[in-house]
Amino acid sequence: MARVAQEMVERAGVDVDTLVELLVKNAAAELTTYYYYTILRANLIGLQGESLKEIAEVARIEDRNHFEALVPRIYELGGKLPQDMVEFHNLSACPPAKLPADPTDVMAILKVLVEAERCAVRGYTHICDLTAGKDHRTYDLALAILNEEIEHESWFSEFLGEGPSGHFMRRGETSPFVSKFLR
Amino acid sequence: MREFTLEELARFDGRDGRPAYVAYAGVVYDVTTSFLWQGGRHQVLHRAGQDLTEALAQAPHGQELLEKFPVVGTLKGEVDA
Repeated sequence: MARVAQEMVERAGVDVDTLVELLVKNAAAELTTYYYYTILRANLIGLQGESLKEIAEVARIEDRNHFEALVPRIYELGGKLPQDMVEFHNLSACPPAKLPADPTDVMAILKVLVEAERCAVRGYTHICDLTAGKDHRTYDLALAILNEEIEHESWFSEFLGEGPSGHFMRRGETSPFVSKFLR
Repeated sequence: MREFTLEELARFDGRDGRPAYVAYAGVVYDVTTSFLWQGGRHQVLHRAGQDLTEALAQAPHGQELLEKFPVVGTLKGEVDA
């Protein structure tokens, strides 16, 4: 535990227990999303599905990166991950991104993907709001993750016909915002 | 449609198997089945059995997410708040 770092956060008026619980819930959301996206990606097949597979894969890998980036901050603040993986899954900040009943329905898969990203965008916006100007390190981390989640949402939203994302897909790199926390 | 007082609403706190109801703008929603309201808690900060009208104004989402859930009543004296 980083004692003084934790004290600074408390003195700034942040409830550290609440913050840690939120970070654990969002770490659970990232790891479970990584798992469920593995299944979604595997089912993105055929003429429609193949065009989405690469982008789903990037989102999947970046969500795993988000989990990896969140864990050190949880322990720095005196928190820990649950021992039980089932408990960890069930306390996720976002619902499971499960494969739709009809796994050949690419639009239904896209809706699952975009809803998962929208849940994440809400979650990290919430953490940024709680920590802005108070807990600089958590804010920096949450903002980096938020930047990537917003891009994920916009990619999938574009495929749903909701309008241009304004982005181009990654070119061989992953986590342009979060990578500084993974070194 | 049932009319709830705040005291009555508080009994639907989602704990120990009880239903989880929340109020927004005078309308009471049943969020019991929501993954995000397990045990009557939502994103660490919010509890079922309460009027969340003010809290939702600070939330990173609007009422559209509540509207997916069944309406089970109104909050006494708070309709059309």
